[in-house]
Amino acid sequence: MKKKTNTLLILALIVGLAFHGSAIFFTLEYTYDALIHLFFADHYASSWFDPWEYRWYTGFTVQSYPPLVHQLIGILSYIGGLKFGMYTVGLIAIVLFITGAYRYTLLMTGSRRIAGYGAVLAVFSSTFVETLHIFGQLPSVSALSILLHSMTEIYLWIKTGKTRYFITSASMLAVTVTSHHVTPLFGMVFFIAPLMGMTVMDAAREKVDSYKKLSFKVFWSTTLQHFWRIAKFGFTAIFLLVFCIFPYWYNSKRNPITQVAIPHGSRDNFLEITSSGLVFFLIPWGVLLFILPYFFYRYFSKRYLFFGLSFTLLTILGTGGTTPVPLLMLGETAFNILTLDRFTLWATIMALPIFAEFAYRMVEGDLKTLIQSKFGGVYHRVLGGLIAGGMLFMVLFTMTLGYFRPSQPAQIKMLPIVNFLGADSHDSWRYLPLGFGDQMAWLSAQTKAMTVDGNYHSARRLPELTTRAIERIENSKFRGVEGIGSLQQFLTVPEKYNLKYIFSNDKFYDPILYYCGWQRLQQLENGIMVWEKLNVAPIPQIMPKQDVPTIMKIMWGIIPISTVLIAIFVNIQMIWVRLLKSRKTEVHSFMKLELPYNKFPAKLLTISHWWSLIVLLCIGYGMYLFYIKNVEQISPNNVVESYYDALDFKEFSRAHSYLDPEQNIDIAQYMLEVSVTDGILSSYAKLDSLNINIYDVTENSAKAKVATMWITPLENVFNDDYHELVKRKNKWYIKSSKVDNDIPPDQLFTANGTTFYNHGRRKITTQETYHEDVLKQPVLEILTAKLVQYKGQYSIIGELQNVDDTPADIVIKATLYNDRNKELANYNAKHQIKHKLMPKETTTFKINFEGIAWSSTKDTIPPTFNPDEFTPVSFEEQPTKFNLQSAGNTANTDLYKHLALQDLEYTEQGFNGVLFNSGVQEVTIPQLIISYYDKDHELLWVDHKFVTSGVRIQRKQFFNYKPLDLDSLRIVNSSLKNCFVNGLPNAAIAEKIFPNRKTIHGPKQSQPFKGKGYEYIKFELNSYIGNPK
Amino acid sequence: MYLRLFIILCLFLIGCSSKKEKTQKKHVLPKVVLETKQKNYVAGDSISLTFKADSGTERLILQVKNAYGNTLLTPELINDNSVQFLIPKNYTRLAGPCRWILLHEGETASKGKINIATNAPMATHIESYFGPRSITAGYIDYSMLTVSPTDIYDNPLDDGTEVTVKYQFEENISDLKITTQSFFSWYNVRSTTKSGRILVTSECNGTTSKELATIVFPSNATDFSINAKSAHNYADGNQIITFTSDIIKDEFGNTVSNGTLVTFIIKNEKDSYLYTIGTTLNGIVEARTLHPDKASKWEIQGFVTGAAESNIIEFDFNAAIKDYPVHFSQGNRNIDIGPFESFMKQLIPDGLLIKLDIYDAKGNFIQTNKTTTKNGSCNIFLGAHYLPEGDYILKLEAAGIKKEFTKNIHGN
Repeated sequence: MKKKTNTLLILALIVGLAFHGSAIFFTLEYTYDALIHLFFADHYASSWFDPWEYRWYTGFTVQSYPPLVHQLIGILSYIGGLKFGMYTVGLIAIVLFITGAYRYTLLMTGSRRIAGYGAVLAVFSSTFVETLHIFGQLPSVSALSILLHSMTEIYLWIKTGKTRYFITSASMLAVTVTSHHVTPLFGMVFFIAPLMGMTVMDAAREKVDSYKKLSFKVFWSTTLQHFWRIAKFGFTAIFLLVFCIFPYWYNSKRNPITQVAIPHGSRDNFLEITSSGLVFFLIPWGVLLFILPYFFYRYFSKRYLFFGLSFTLLTILGTGGTTPVPLLMLGETAFNILTLDRFTLWATIMALPIFAEFAYRMVEGDLKTLIQSKFGGVYHRVLGGLIAGGMLFMVLFTMTLGYFRPSQPAQIKMLPIVNFLGADSHDSWRYLPLGFGDQMAWLSAQTKAMTVDGNYHSARRLPELTTRAIERIENSKFRGVEGIGSLQQFLTVPEKYNLKYIFSNDKFYDPILYYCGWQRLQQLENGIMVWEKLNVAPIPQIMPKQDVPTIMKIMWGIIPISTVLIAIFVNIQMIWVRLLKSRKTEVHSFMKLELPYNKFPAKLLTISHWWSLIVLLCIGYGMYLFYIKNVEQISPNNVVESYYDALDFKEFSRAHSYLDPEQNIDIAQYMLEVSVTDGILSSYAKLDSLNINIYDVTENSAKAKVATMWITPLENVFNDDYHELVKRKNKWYIKSSKVDNDIPPDQLFTANGTTFYNHGRRKITTQETYHEDVLKQPVLEILTAKLVQYKGQYSIIGELQNVDDTPADIVIKATLYNDRNKELANYNAKHQIKHKLMPKETTTFKINFEGIAWSSTKDTIPPTFNPDEFTPVSFEEQPTKFNLQSAGNTANTDLYKHLALQDLEYTEQGFNGVLFNSGVQEVTIPQLIISYYDKDHELLWVDHKFVTSGVRIQRKQFFNYKPLDLDSLRIVNSSLKNCFVNGLPNAAIAEKIFPNRKTIHGPKQSQPFKGKGYEYIKFELNSYIGNPK
Repeated sequence: MYLRLFIILCLFLIGCSSKKEKTQKKHVLPKVVLETKQKNYVAGDSISLTFKADSGTERLILQVKNAYGNTLLTPELINDNSVQFLIPKNYTRLAGPCRWILLHEGETASKGKINIATNAPMATHIESYFGPRSITAGYIDYSMLTVSPTDIYDNPLDDGTEVTVKYQFEENISDLKITTQSFFSWYNVRSTTKSGRILVTSECNGTTSKELATIVFPSNATDFSINAKSAHNYADGNQIITFTSDIIKDEFGNTVSNGTLVTFIIKNEKDSYLYTIGTTLNGIVEARTLHPDKASKWEIQGFVTGAAESNIIEFDFNAAIKDYPVHFSQGNRNIDIGPFESFMKQLIPDGLLIKLDIYDAKGNFIQTNKTTTKNGSCNIFLGAHYLPEGDYILKLEAAGIKKEFTKNIHGN
């Protein structure tokens, strides 16, 4: 018999390559993982043997991830660049997957026809589409594909015991191990173990006439017969797993993952968080969901019994947090480390052969006959059309998911950033991208500059990051207060990390950058804003590095590629044989096990119909719930929710449609009113929670109290709004609140002021800046400094003045000591200070000491960071002394000082005040810094408040501030002894520059106010300008 | 069994090393004489040392050591019994002692020292620093000029070399001569009482340095006077009042630097401390704020905190709005307030804040309504859905004028 080429396989390969091969060019770069692998590949391309990578996380080792795929991309990058390498490996993975699915199906069913179906179905499997085109898990896909290839060889080794098969199976397993560590580890349990079971079962079957006669006794004796082959292979597999990536295990032992669990959607309850349910359950399963009963029916037949158990296990584990079973089975630790979506991936891949079998029976087998005889030919065609259509829909839906709901910010042109980092020694400092998504890895791959962030959180070393459940600092806003808290630590103490530049692709972060003392440098041509921080030292020439023995480096550099070469060499002969059909090969024993497929059980068909109905009902109910929750004006609650949703997403025309039509508010007018309001809530806030309380409900009206919590870059804002709601024509509407009619006094006015410019280097040179181009650091004077304890936390408060003649940027760092001069903590002033001072301007400041700043042990770190409610850290010893180091640097931006306190009145609700903007820049976020003084005008405490609305030019803004009770405040130490300015003692500066200081000026500028524990209060203003003109 | 034997054999073989025992050789030092007689050189000269040795010339190497570093040289020329070493440029260009040791198989055969002098006659270079880059006018502050004249190879010239320092301030150019000591010379350029820019330069052996400058900034501000200006003095809440100072000067009569911050503290009749800020431009500071919207009495004083203060000026705002009508209709649910008339009976500009506090008949607070005027008046409607029929006390406040009504609210 002449062997024919399997046309279905060829078709699958052609279609697969054409479809996936062209699609990856539009999807792969937008996936979660692909660019991370690209970055690793870049590492190998530039330093093959040295595993230390400085560019992320202040240094980490690439031996924390199996290297094969990265190294392949690295090698290929020499031909056509990194992306060429990535796409080539992607194409190889596609081919391997389709052929792997073919061989796996062939092994399972013994029918070349069904295997052909398997290959075609593999191309259109939604789980493969998702893994490749949405997650971009290249190593995982490659490893899985090779594992599928190896299964036939493993089967043949156990069955026949021929050394040839032992070598081929071991060589393929080695490649799997070096491309992905989790795949073979779990693959052993979920794929290879049942495979061994099936092999033994087949062998046992050959001893008896039918499966009916196959008793446990026969099976057991066969197992014993094959035991040594199984054991030999098992030990080899374990040896390969350990040996091939030994440096990985060595590194895992040496640097155990200290990262706290980062929430992952696959661990959610899919019924509660439907988006996770969609991505991690519905999409990978797709149409297979309807055919589940058939899978279980087939997999629990005697031959496939072990696969049945494995399949059930995988299916259950893949449900994540929906049922408590996975948590119980895996245990707390494993449950929180593993991403459970991989179980679903394996389950759906495992189901492929049976699905192929089903398709075969449906298209040309007994199922077709059964349906046609039972329901008629049309029904069969419709059903087939529905299944095929369903599959196609799932594939298209999955493929376009990233297009309609982008998981990544729009593609950023990296060249301007790369050029910026390369020019003028900007790469002597670390940088931090904000709002880049996974594209940050692509940026890192293109530059040799380093960042404190990174995109492979298992390799993190900084405790600031490992103790936070955030993926990256870069997208910290999506992790709420915890993320922002982590970001704030990097922004407040950047000199600790030599962090000088920030690339902001998300203006959300701008206010926190400003208030932490950063300044805008320039906008690059790709729209990215560069922020810089003054007074940060460059990265030292010699950086710490964790070295590994040379043998590890050699193993890591040589073994992975060797496994591929060996595998190709060993298997090439077989591939030739298979492709060219040049030599007649023996027919493998499993080919004889092809089933006749002559009678599809009618009961199963009925059950499948009922099951499909249940699935359809569930989906329908889910969609109904979705509709009711999202239909906009059906109840007072819904209209308020929709209105806030529209405001949060800045869809103002939608928001306008919820306003009472009888109020006749023109859409143009509404947009105009919305567009002129600015401030932290309208421009920089993300709605975090919405609590609607409907009261006074009548037939056609209601009132709503809306308690909102907004996450802003600065702090959480809690807001209570009141709305009147009306019902008109069965629809609920919101009555619009009145707008401020205030008009500014002058149509046109002039303003004069001093502006500053610093050339930096006047000579264009690559050398160090010339001596005469270095400006003198502006001289500051610390007027008061105190260590106080208030509500259990220690703070340094004080006041300082820019006594120089040029504007200054202020950095101030405090260190706490105990009586025995042991250093306890140090931290910088964050936002309770004016960072930019004009000549002779003063500012009060407060420095809080935050957890991570000195804590190396885990238990003292507060579990979550809340910028509003500071978690006081328990000091082991009492701080009694402090040291203040302040530094001034010439500033020439953010010097807007034209915000005036126009009115102030004390009422029972606190201070009601009016801010007035007398200048020509719109103040986006005004900040009040409030200082408290005792009867002798001694500073007691410093507080702050962000006013949630901006102050437009020549307009007023109202604020309310509730003064504090300072009964419990204790001054621990008040001294200027250890205060330094630009490294010089403060006392000497005071004596030289301000010998006759008029100390009465302080008291003359503070407001007498009798509060609890204080006699005077002073308001200072600081203003953030979102769009400087 | 064989395997174990094999392993033992392997271990045994590994244990056998091929290292041979060294036989002790008697080391005989050759007799070496330095042929080159010259001991003193000038930086940049080509220096070669020739030795005569009785044996083993091919094994001689020369170690050279000076401030540049330490190196081993192999012979340049070997003729019969003489060897010649050429000292590299890096070493010959550096002034100071240069020690050499002649080695023969690690043993010192001979050693000595040559002296390299600064190459003063060749062109002189000047390295100069001047800082700080800005100082304060007066008698205390100064900038230091540091000059280090060097030869062409960057060797500092000998102590006592004369350097001329020149400095210029306005029309005056002074020069003086100083000498180097410990390789450099320095001079403190004292600050002047006038603000401006001091330029300095230096000269040595006919070479002049580049121009360096320090800026003399004015000293601290002294007391100044201010005045207030506005289009009118009515409290209409819609007019800018401007505070201006005279030219603020330091004790030496210099105008304070541009950008000096002046805080204007405003104390109103309720003892509230308000403020506005200005920065100086050519010594004059200007700051603005908005008129209050009710009659007020302001006391204003300007401060350059810690240094200077101004006189206190007063500014009285007269009430712009004397009274306003309130009209109730539609069962007292509709309240029309206004028209508000300003000081010339004109309608006030839009935006006056009106506050209505609603209390029930027993005086319990219910809610506050706020609105602003448009076209001189405004309207508040208390809808039936929100305020059921009954008696209420309505407290109205606008432009500092409070009005209280007790009304029965009824109907729709």
